[in-house]
Amino acid sequence: MTPGTVSNSKPERSSWSAFIVVPVIFVGAYFAARAGIKRVEPGSLAALGLALLPVPPFAWLIWCFVRGIRSMDELERRIQLEALALAFPIALLVTFTAGLLDLAGFHGEGNWDLPRLCPLLLLPYWIGLALARRRYS
Amino acid sequence: MAVNNRLRVLRAERSWSQAELAERLGVSRQTVNAVETGKYDPSLPLAFKIARLFEQQIEDVFHFDGVPDARKETP
Repeated sequence: MTPGTVSNSKPERSSWSAFIVVPVIFVGAYFAARAGIKRVEPGSLAALGLALLPVPPFAWLIWCFVRGIRSMDELERRIQLEALALAFPIALLVTFTAGLLDLAGFHGEGNWDLPRLCPLLLLPYWIGLALARRRYS
Repeated sequence: MAVNNRLRVLRAERSWSQAELAERLGVSRQTVNAVETGKYDPSLPLAFKIARLFEQQIEDVFHFDGVPDARKETP
């Protein structure tokens, strides 16, 4: 290798459109499932199919995220790790607390379903991302 | 204890911008800036890549404060 010309494949930039299109598909599938489940018999095969409808889009979203992480350089990966290290335990805490609140009779309107919990699960990730980016900038 | 480096000096000697160096190393400009300012210690492969790019030994680019340089102490 010639000095001064260290070769390295440029990090493949993941398609950011995937991070817009796939979540939209997931949200669409989720609300379609919610609407559909109310119209079918509980416990039926149709209800099961509708309940599992959002799973493939979410799996696709995870795959896009993992592919995005792989295309990052080492500092960007560190930033993601620090953000997730903050977000994951908080997401667990929110989930456990929501379950206990539900058991304790604090159901609230619509129970502790995804639209209600989603901001609480995503907020720690965004905060962690902002803190880690600030630390290394 | 921290790892100090001469990356900014070496880059300035070649009149490279951070973006240009980042491009040559295959990392983001933010990574180059974080390494230069000592906010981020690069991995060993990246440190070797930096040293090779500037035609230097790795220990001539990066210095670890707190550990004496064994080469200098050898009579």
